[in-house]
Amino acid sequence: MTDATPLLSVQSLTKSFGSLVAVDGVSFDILPGEVHCLLGENGAGKSTLSSCLYGLYRPDAGVIRMDGEPIELRSPADALAAGIGMVHQHFVLVPTFTVLENIMVGTSRGWRLGGGEARTQVAKICSRHGIALDLDRLIGDLAVGEQQWVEIVKALYLDVRLLILDEPTAALTPDESARLFRMIRTMAASGLAVVLISHKMKEVLQSDRVTVLRKGGLIGTVRTDETSGPDLTAMMIGRHVGSHAAVAESKPGDVTLSLDAVTLDDRDGRRLLDRISFDLHGGEILGIAGVAGNGQNALFEVIAGIRRAFAGDIRLAGQSICHLSAKNIADRGLGHVPNDRLRDGLVGEFSIAENLILGHQWDAQYRHGPLLDRAGIDVRAEQAIADYAIQAPGPATTVRTLSGGNAQKVILAREFAKARRCLLCHQPTRGLDVGVIEYVHNELRRLRREGVAILLASEELDELFTLADRIAVIFDGKILGIFPRSVADIQTIGQLMAGHRDA
Amino acid sequence: MTPDVMSAAALVDRRRGWRIERRADPSAVGWLVALLLAALGAFILSGLLLATAGASPLDAFSNLAKGGFGSGRALANTAVKATPLIFTGLATALAFRARLWNIGAEGQVFAGAIAAYACTHALDAAPALLQMPLILVAAMIGGALFGGLAGVLKTHFKVDEVISTVMLNYIIAFGLSMLLLKGPWSEAGGFFEQTAKVAVNAELPILIDKTRLHLGFVIALVTAGLMQVVLAHTPFGYEVRAAGSNLRALAFQGTNTTRLVLLVMATSGALAALAGVSEVYGVHHRLHAAAIVGYGYTGIVIAILGRLQPLGVVAAAILFGGLVNGSTLMQIKTGVPSTLIYAIQAIILICYLVAWAAASFRIRRPGRTTPSGEIGRAGHG
Repeated sequence: MTDATPLLSVQSLTKSFGSLVAVDGVSFDILPGEVHCLLGENGAGKSTLSSCLYGLYRPDAGVIRMDGEPIELRSPADALAAGIGMVHQHFVLVPTFTVLENIMVGTSRGWRLGGGEARTQVAKICSRHGIALDLDRLIGDLAVGEQQWVEIVKALYLDVRLLILDEPTAALTPDESARLFRMIRTMAASGLAVVLISHKMKEVLQSDRVTVLRKGGLIGTVRTDETSGPDLTAMMIGRHVGSHAAVAESKPGDVTLSLDAVTLDDRDGRRLLDRISFDLHGGEILGIAGVAGNGQNALFEVIAGIRRAFAGDIRLAGQSICHLSAKNIADRGLGHVPNDRLRDGLVGEFSIAENLILGHQWDAQYRHGPLLDRAGIDVRAEQAIADYAIQAPGPATTVRTLSGGNAQKVILAREFAKARRCLLCHQPTRGLDVGVIEYVHNELRRLRREGVAILLASEELDELFTLADRIAVIFDGKILGIFPRSVADIQTIGQLMAGHRDA
Repeated sequence: MTPDVMSAAALVDRRRGWRIERRADPSAVGWLVALLLAALGAFILSGLLLATAGASPLDAFSNLAKGGFGSGRALANTAVKATPLIFTGLATALAFRARLWNIGAEGQVFAGAIAAYACTHALDAAPALLQMPLILVAAMIGGALFGGLAGVLKTHFKVDEVISTVMLNYIIAFGLSMLLLKGPWSEAGGFFEQTAKVAVNAELPILIDKTRLHLGFVIALVTAGLMQVVLAHTPFGYEVRAAGSNLRALAFQGTNTTRLVLLVMATSGALAALAGVSEVYGVHHRLHAAAIVGYGYTGIVIAILGRLQPLGVVAAAILFGGLVNGSTLMQIKTGVPSTLIYAIQAIILICYLVAWAAASFRIRRPGRTTPSGEIGRAGHG
């Protein structure tokens, strides 16, 4: 700790929702010009805490001081007036407005937009922090990374002295992330304090200090140069995670899934998949690296039979599955863990038991004549809850009320049971706690040992390098290269993910 | 922290700090209190309306209750009024449960009545045992085809079902007019736009002497019970409920959702069609627009009041049937026009919707650290 007066000081802050204490008596300081990371698993209280700092929630107890003066934050407007800004994980930009309009919206400095004064000021902010932005482009035309800069400039335009970034790299390429961190460093050097919410250890270690939360409580604040990744992880989850065991060399079997020049256009004639070919062997994990939106969804949906390929052939265990329904393909031993579990994988208002038979409601094994066999379905659900350690009161629990990790386990239980031959896994660990991620990884390794062919797409390169036997890079609907993990390196793959073919 | 809690801050009024939040889990007690307040509000507002119409509200209400539910005969006639509303309410509830906004029960009632009449007006004296099943099946096929038409427009031509069903309602109403006005079905030598009376063998039998209670009411109750079982315990009901929550997830698991949409629209149409049977063959004994108009639209209100549950639909339909039935006595005794009852029905719906909103959301006032209903920890500061 230094002697400088803290810019922001939080004392014994408590916030509960009903009987759930989300933040329990947490205290910490933020110094001017410091990059401070809030680290914790999902549900540890990071988001509630930052929402209190931004005036979205009102704490039940505790004091927030700015420059030593107690302040009361009733709304985001109060927070902004006090100099606290926040960039949310999900951007709040108007796609049909220009960059400048989005920055000025709601700032109530005169009611005419596009004024010259604002333009010069925004341009000045951009040049000071080395941000290249065309102020007259529409938000809808920008890449996700660029939208992130707009959000940040929007906060800087309001003269904030403390900027909260909620999982800022969730949608960025490795290059963009690196650029973001360079920018955060410049901003900090000019005196701005940055609060970073993250659970990616590589990013956490780039901050000055880390405050670790677990189950709403404060575990401690440590200087980054006096700690290490494994120590922080242990603080975060309360135990040591087994370090990534060297991946056992797998012995791939026969070709299980084979794609031959698979091509798909969307309704407007844009090419989503462009002549994709690869072979996937039993007992092998093929990783798909790529920035979201480069055709991963289309690829998985075409293989699973949810969409029809325009051209090319897909074979499962030697037989073409191009013209089969999703149900038929699943019955041939293919499981599919979709990217967006609540949107694509689960029926929110249904119980765990009902979700486990989704798509199989007509199967004879779940019926007694014309009626569903409720008792049998419940028995199966109880088994799945036990096998996959799903934390829920029982089979009748509505999945909407489950945490992300437990909801994902419901999908895993359903899809692993189907995946006798092949498993498609699209971002299976997105947004999950470290403990659950470890669990999912072990399950994938178990399936590989059992000879299942696994296609795994992830935006976390670490995950692919930990699990995959080979890594394919997808960009703009094309496979730009497939590398055995032993020869793949993060730089090459990162470059290909950004579409630089000649890297 | 749960996702519900996270999304709770969605609506923020920056200037004053007032907030409207969706409750994570509306409590049963809160819901009951809201419902009682809604009933009270509906009484007060309807009372004011009756007072402006020049009657003593208490007098009017008591006659309304007596006329609707006060005697065995009143109850029987209330059941008659409720019968078509049960069918259209069930039809709407089924579609809405699958998130298909079928506003076309009105037209599907017409389609059912027309199809049934087309089948039976040829066979005058056939025995009732033959006519009865034929009428029911023909009506359901007619309603199913008409509902299915809106379904096909949705699945194959991407026409929103709200638009198509409303348009089809108009089309079939004009279609019936054409058939009846100088058309093939118009009553020989008749002046009105109506058919001749149906054969006695085609009438739905009266169940209790000296009342108009006919077999249709029993069919309605059986249908409601059946729908309850189908929704809760069959694969089709499972798909309907899944579609209501997340059709996409169902499609991802390989269920043919196009077929499901068509099936739900057709079944919904078939249910609505039975209202046409109950009115044409149970009450009016001839086909004319006045016999069957309006039940489809009221069915939407019934479905909402019944919370899209079959048994709730039956309860709401009996309430509305009783109000309509009782309004005659109210008019005779107090001079209040019986059509005022439709305004009272609307008041009930509005109060109900307000109660629903009040129970599902809460407003947070600024300047209060601990909102009511949450466990405060302010004392520990």
